[in-house]
Amino acid sequence: MGSVLELQDVSMSFGGLKAVDTLSFTVEENEIVSIIGPNGSGKTTTFNLISGLYEPHSGDILLKGESIAGLRADVVHDKGISRTFQSLRLFTNMSVMENVLVGMHSVTSGGVVASMLRLPNVRREERAMREKAQEILDMFPGRFSGPRQSQPAYSLSYANRRRLEIARALASDPALLLLDEPVAGMNPAESHEVMEQIKLLREKGYTILMIEHDMHVVEGVSDRVIAMDHGVKIAEGTYDEVANDPQVVEAYLGKRAADATA
Amino acid sequence: MSLDHIVSVTIGGLTVGMIYALIALGYTMVYGVLKFINFAHGEVFTVGGYVAAFTLLAVGVDADSSPLMLAGALVAALAVAVLVPMVLGFVIERIAYRPLRGRSRIIPLLSAIGVSIALQQLIILIFGSKPVTIPTLELSSASVGLFGVRIRVLALVIIAVSALLMVGLTYLVKSTRIGKAMRATSQDMEAAEMMGIDTNRTIAFTFLVGSALAGIGGLLVVMYYGSLKYDAGFLYGLKAFTAAVLGGIGNIPGAVVGAIVLGMTETYGVSVDLGFLAWFVLAGLVLGLYVQMVHVPRQRVGHISPDRRTPEYEQSIVNVYRLTPYHGVRVLMAERTDALLSVSAAHAMRLMMGNVFLAAVAAYMFVNASARIDTRWQPVIAFAVLMVILMFRPSGILGEAITEKV
Repeated sequence: MGSVLELQDVSMSFGGLKAVDTLSFTVEENEIVSIIGPNGSGKTTTFNLISGLYEPHSGDILLKGESIAGLRADVVHDKGISRTFQSLRLFTNMSVMENVLVGMHSVTSGGVVASMLRLPNVRREERAMREKAQEILDMFPGRFSGPRQSQPAYSLSYANRRRLEIARALASDPALLLLDEPVAGMNPAESHEVMEQIKLLREKGYTILMIEHDMHVVEGVSDRVIAMDHGVKIAEGTYDEVANDPQVVEAYLGKRAADATA
Repeated sequence: MSLDHIVSVTIGGLTVGMIYALIALGYTMVYGVLKFINFAHGEVFTVGGYVAAFTLLAVGVDADSSPLMLAGALVAALAVAVLVPMVLGFVIERIAYRPLRGRSRIIPLLSAIGVSIALQQLIILIFGSKPVTIPTLELSSASVGLFGVRIRVLALVIIAVSALLMVGLTYLVKSTRIGKAMRATSQDMEAAEMMGIDTNRTIAFTFLVGSALAGIGGLLVVMYYGSLKYDAGFLYGLKAFTAAVLGGIGNIPGAVVGAIVLGMTETYGVSVDLGFLAWFVLAGLVLGLYVQMVHVPRQRVGHISPDRRTPEYEQSIVNVYRLTPYHGVRVLMAERTDALLSVSAAHAMRLMMGNVFLAAVAAYMFVNASARIDTRWQPVIAFAVLMVILMFRPSGILGEAITEKV
């Protein structure tokens, strides 16, 4: 069984700045990999490259052995990569339920004419979609129950918006789930809850690549950690290996601190 | 002003309003997804009317045609009036807008104006510059009695057909898969793409639907007025655009509400005598005074923080607002009551002038109660109403897409 995701020497620059520099790593089936690194180290650019928003200037990105570099974002999504956003990008004027249904867009097929006429197969599909969306929303017990599902997403609390982003990303049953800072801005209790949910996702068989600054969460869920700085991978391994790597300490705390710990 | 007059004017206003609405929906939907005004949309409407008219002429219908032939010709005209604009809208988006997407907003706008001019010239080249006229059909001149007035059947048909199309469109946007994709695209195109929505297809679909509606509008106008000129799309387009802005650009029910308000104002403005209109001016005066003297002060007093709230302070704020309701809003933000009081005299003067002006207009109208406004003032009235409404509600009657999308 090959890797779910494989980056081969991927580079991307904006103007003269190398945002991502010959980056290579893999994510294996049912694994949780975290990317850490200071701000501006190229983490989100990496996500944007994987999800098809940018095209890498060189190198290749493989999803289950098939190249997806340079494909349109919606095609990449169809092929099985779904994501959340660091700065929340819910469809805020649509309801909670509708946000999840939009997440299913690529796995449904209801044509215009058929849905206008409400043909039986469309109605069947719609029912199945709603049931599935309900199932996904039930993974967040008590958060999206009952009448809250028909409320617009803008009425949700900050933490619930983050949860809804995860729910929307799960709606298409992705082969690879990208989580961009899933606990950013949450309090410790909320972070802990999200961490438990991410563990639950692994039990359900999802493969996850995650960007996170909260080291407690990174330590709690990651099988493997990749550290980046200035677009380059500077360390990779278990949480303890990476956290004690002198280069990583230097990237976060400066050279003197790194020397002191060495 | 008698009841039968009111009925016939209302039906007339509703009819033109519905036609504006059919065109306005195209403007507002495209604005919703692309945040730009497709100025070529008016010409898409004209093309719809032209191809429908030429289909009727080609089949050769006239007052003596058999019902079967007439029905056939109408179905054919409807088909071309839908299909040709759809193709046109699709092609315009593909060649004139898509390559420019993501550029600064003025660029696609210029492209749209260019397309509009080019299409108008193309219509002249293909169909000639003389207006196209269809023969008088029994269908379009038939009338029924309603509350003792003769009403053209066609007017009722236009209202019914448009209402039906709007219900269908609402269902399409609210409940279908492509409708959800449209709404998602209009909120955040990049995020929609990363959620698996092919935004190019969604945008193309938006143009198809908008153009089809405009095409049907073209057919209805040709049937209703019997003729259409090559530049009709300019004024209809402008008015429909106005209607879309009036209702809140990007907002689908807004476009319909705006169009009906516009159609009604236009029709009422020139069809009734000044004595009737004067009551509207008086109502505006009373409403203005109420807002200025009661509503705004009350609202603002509610905004005073509790620790500063003494009866004397409240009273002084109320007084200040009664004199300067609009200027005062900004100044109170800074809690500069003294500054407020210093500007009040000049401002109160201006507001008073506004009220005196309205009262004078109303008085003039009552004196000349039996006179009417010349029909040529129709567009002027429409735009005056637009200006007044937008002065008080800058985002339109139902609000812009950003705050409330459907």
